Amino acid sequence: MTEEILRVRGLRKRFPGVVALDGVDFDLRPGEVHVLLGENGAGKSTLIKMLSGAYHPDEGTIFMDGRETAIRTAEDAQRHGIATIYQEFNLVPQLTVAENLMLGRPPRRFGFVDKKAMYRHAQELLDRVGVDADPRAPLASLGIARMQMVEIAKALGLDARVLIMDEPTAVLTTSEVQRLFTIVRQLKEQGVAIVFITHHLEEIAQIGDRVTVLRDGASVAEVPADTPEEELVRLMVGRSIDQQYPRERSTQGAPLLEVRGLTRKGVFEDVSFEVRAGEVVGLAGLVGAGRTEVVRAIFGADPYDSGEVLVDGLPLPRGKVTAALEAGLGLVPEDRKGQGLVLGANIRENLGLVTMRRATHGGFVDRAGQAKAAAEVAEQLGVRMSGLGQEVRTLSGGNQQKIVIGKWLLAEANVLILDEPTRGIDVGAKVEIYQLINSLTAAGRAVLMISSDLPEVLGMSDRVLVMARGRLAGELSAAEATQDSVMALAVGELEETA
Amino acid sequence: MTTGTLRLRKGSSILSENGSLIGLVVLLVALTLLSGDFLTVTNLLNVGVQAAVTAILAFGQTFVIITSGIDLSVGAVAALSAVVLAWTATSHGMAWPLATGFALIVGIACGLVNGALITYGKLPPFIATLAMQGIARGLGLVISQGSPIALPDSVSHVGDTIGGYLPVPAIVMLLMGVITAVVLNRTYAGRAMYAIGGNEEAARLSGIKVTRQKLITYALAGGFAAVAGIVLAGRLASAQPQAALGYELDAIAAVVIGGASLSGGKGKALGTFVGALILAVLRNGLNLLSVSAFWQQVVIGIVIALAVLLDTLRRRQAS
Amino acid sequence: MQFTKPAAIAAAGAILALGLTACNNGSSSSAGGSGGGGGDIKIGLSVSTLNNPYFVQLRQGAEAEAKKEGVKITTTDAQNDASQQVNQVQNFASQSMKAIIINPVDSSAAAPAVKAADRSKIPVIAADRGVTGATVTQTVASDNVAGGKLAAQELGKALGGKGKVAVLQGTAGTSAARDRQQGFAEGIKAFPGIQVVAQQPADFDRTKGLDVMTNMLQAHSDITGVFAANDEMALGAIKALGAKAGKQVKVVGFDGSPDGLKAVQAGTLSADVAQQPVLLGQLAVQSAVKAAKGGKIEATVAVPVKVATKDNVAQFTNGA
Repeated sequence: MTEEILRVRGLRKRFPGVVALDGVDFDLRPGEVHVLLGENGAGKSTLIKMLSGAYHPDEGTIFMDGRETAIRTAEDAQRHGIATIYQEFNLVPQLTVAENLMLGRPPRRFGFVDKKAMYRHAQELLDRVGVDADPRAPLASLGIARMQMVEIAKALGLDARVLIMDEPTAVLTTSEVQRLFTIVRQLKEQGVAIVFITHHLEEIAQIGDRVTVLRDGASVAEVPADTPEEELVRLMVGRSIDQQYPRERSTQGAPLLEVRGLTRKGVFEDVSFEVRAGEVVGLAGLVGAGRTEVVRAIFGADPYDSGEVLVDGLPLPRGKVTAALEAGLGLVPEDRKGQGLVLGANIRENLGLVTMRRATHGGFVDRAGQAKAAAEVAEQLGVRMSGLGQEVRTLSGGNQQKIVIGKWLLAEANVLILDEPTRGIDVGAKVEIYQLINSLTAAGRAVLMISSDLPEVLGMSDRVLVMARGRLAGELSAAEATQDSVMALAVGELEETA
Repeated sequence: MTTGTLRLRKGSSILSENGSLIGLVVLLVALTLLSGDFLTVTNLLNVGVQAAVTAILAFGQTFVIITSGIDLSVGAVAALSAVVLAWTATSHGMAWPLATGFALIVGIACGLVNGALITYGKLPPFIATLAMQGIARGLGLVISQGSPIALPDSVSHVGDTIGGYLPVPAIVMLLMGVITAVVLNRTYAGRAMYAIGGNEEAARLSGIKVTRQKLITYALAGGFAAVAGIVLAGRLASAQPQAALGYELDAIAAVVIGGASLSGGKGKALGTFVGALILAVLRNGLNLLSVSAFWQQVVIGIVIALAVLLDTLRRRQAS
Repeated sequence: MQFTKPAAIAAAGAILALGLTACNNGSSSSAGGSGGGGGDIKIGLSVSTLNNPYFVQLRQGAEAEAKKEGVKITTTDAQNDASQQVNQVQNFASQSMKAIIINPVDSSAAAPAVKAADRSKIPVIAADRGVTGATVTQTVASDNVAGGKLAAQELGKALGGKGKVAVLQGTAGTSAARDRQQGFAEGIKAFPGIQVVAQQPADFDRTKGLDVMTNMLQAHSDITGVFAANDEMALGAIKALGAKAGKQVKVVGFDGSPDGLKAVQAGTLSADVAQQPVLLGQLAVQSAVKAAKGGKIEATVAVPVKVATKDNVAQFTNGA
């Protein structure tokens, strides 16, 4: 057995009012992929932030190569060969790919940046991760999947011996995940020790060697990666979850949302479909197929060139969020933090954002009424919080998402559009959101759900629409929809034209 | 006094919520110890009067800063409104309520132009309001021909006292402060300001009409600037085209000292009031202590930095 | 031609703005020219700022004199920006002005512009403030130090040689603030019975004059005299003193501005050291014309400062 490169014993960390870590043991050998598993708030982020020098433990010890080591700053971590790839990239979109790769340490000659050397070195790094990108291109032109690869290439550039990857697959499509895994396996062979965080249980057996499960700030088990998924879930949530996708079909009524020939030149074309009362319609496709653009146009957040949108049979004016909202549409956007929440405001404020207009009389907001309504919906959603006055910034991803959905519940939206509703959310909270979807459709409302998580689309939808290259590539009933049939539609057109 | 009992009852919570209030208390104690003339009723009333113009400008600025904007034109708009007031009241013989209303309309109009440039014209607030600063200052000079215009007696009461004791500028300041607090806490416009400043896109997707709310915000700032200009003119019994030069920076400093964030979404009327008081108390104290001209600027700079630092430290500790 | 909509609006706006300013220039900044014996002599006048009544009066004096002499004068406003002033003076040189009058924003920052004019053999007259680091043909200025002394004498006289005095200083670091302060300090030494108990800056600003005076009274309630380094601050101080101004407390100002002289007439301002900006402008233009015609002129002209008191104030108000 190889010598451990990193060993962590009895780490504790306390924040005002919360014990974030309560005795974590963890170790890592060269050439292994060690999966960290746990619900949001279980302490995964706190642990990796200590390993990368962002936080300092109150108690406990970190050993590197068998020696007790204090990691006080990001520079310390770098010196010890620890590199971290966070969910929120540490990249500058305005700079070029090469500049990002060499951020803070560009090759210099006579005090000037040696551009030639920089591009050469950047190309080498990009080749190593096998990503096809021009080092001179601005990073922003890359798209999120290739940005992720650049982030990995950047970590490799630091000659990392320990690579911490925080949910690297959350934003990737299936084929991109496979590319990533190939790279991870290469790194393993080179002897790099990898800490891998994911919420996709099926990935664990594919890529992992060992799994450490965290719950409520403590490490509760260390098991091999081929442990059955149900067992992992049980360890993670402390109870067994019977069903990952508890969809209960409701009786379907009249169409609530009708989209006819919706077109924005160069983005999406001739998109037509309907969503009926009591129905969950899944909208599948690859990242960049135009799904988000279509739903934003339906909601009035972006313009479109032609076509029409009807809610309850009445046409909706273009590009008017307020009209969509009054007609009973609601949108839970893809980018929860960037578009769904006012992070610096508290739970009460965020929940009341949509209904504030309605609660205003003569210019004055009925804040007491708003607070009462917010308290009720927070209770109904089971939001875990210290109180309604808590800043939403400090909530876990799952609870944040509940707040975004909650504001539309308060607004009594009839048609709820969910764009990647469970991205980055742990298993327990996912199931709660699915149950919420069930209760909505049971009440005769309609849900249109975009998701890149195929099992979720298949498990929750009554009907699946597949988009490819800005067009509806096909429609599948729940019975017809399988991983293969959906993927065939999603990539089919790509291969034909390629 | 009411503030006294309030402080007794809720003192600790107010103190812990607002770091700059601690700064003000420290300053008050220090000046009381250093100068025997500081802690007298007349001097404290003086401070209130001297804080008034900056505070009123700062209240208006608070709205703008909460939406993560900035308004560099408030000083110039105040001067323009003052000139318009004096000009309409003297050259055109308007009755004072009419002239005052006219001055207010000019201020609000300047604010609306700012808002329109920012929303429809998509100019950054810094540039739009910098342009308005030049326009308003210039128009004030054009109207007044570059010379001060004396106010008729009927109007200069705004600068006087009620019963020889209660100074009107301080009362106007308190009134505007209460209006600010009510707007921010109770009205749709105020709550929308926080949402827009916190996350404009999330606010838009929640059905808040961002363009309209921003227009209201800048119009409010313009209106408050006009009130400040009227108070200023009242105090001097004359309207000066070059008055309130650089006051926008004092106003911004007061807002930030009061705990607002220039990146938006945060800010309170009480905080801004405390910020304006800190600046006024400091200037008053430096005069009482006969500190030399050169050192005064150094001291003011240091205190501004300290006040904001104190607040940041306290927040960091809290989170 | 195809304009995009915003571009067209912007262009229209710019043209409109230019048109407005052009009209304005035509009516107010160029005077005289057609008649008289001056022929086609053109003079450039660069004023530090027109955001101050004092310099507005200076310009009025200059333009009136130009009209009388029948020469063309072009006035520009440097808006208190020294680099803008350098550009303006350089432009004068290339417009083949026969003489240039500069009212420097900053004495040393004006030197490069003056040197450029020298190279083109154009005579330069410095008005109100001197130029350091370059030679000008003539400096026309009122004497701030002498004025400060005069103010001290007037205040000493008004107080009967004894009492406690406060000083409102100008903007820290400016030459006018410095010179007036220096002159006053020298002059007040002649009165051993007078004690200067406080001196604080109020930045030549009326509001600040009011605030600072209020605060000084708090610390020194027994003040009997005030010297303010300009009329704006003096008027602010008078507002702060209320009924005491001119009675228990004597105030002496500096500038002779219209508002200041009104206060002298009303008795609230005991004396005002009057500069004569109109006269200053006239003298500068006279010298410029003489130099343009090739005549010899003196290196310095001191424009007298005069003391305006209640007895003689009428002659000032009529004169201006």
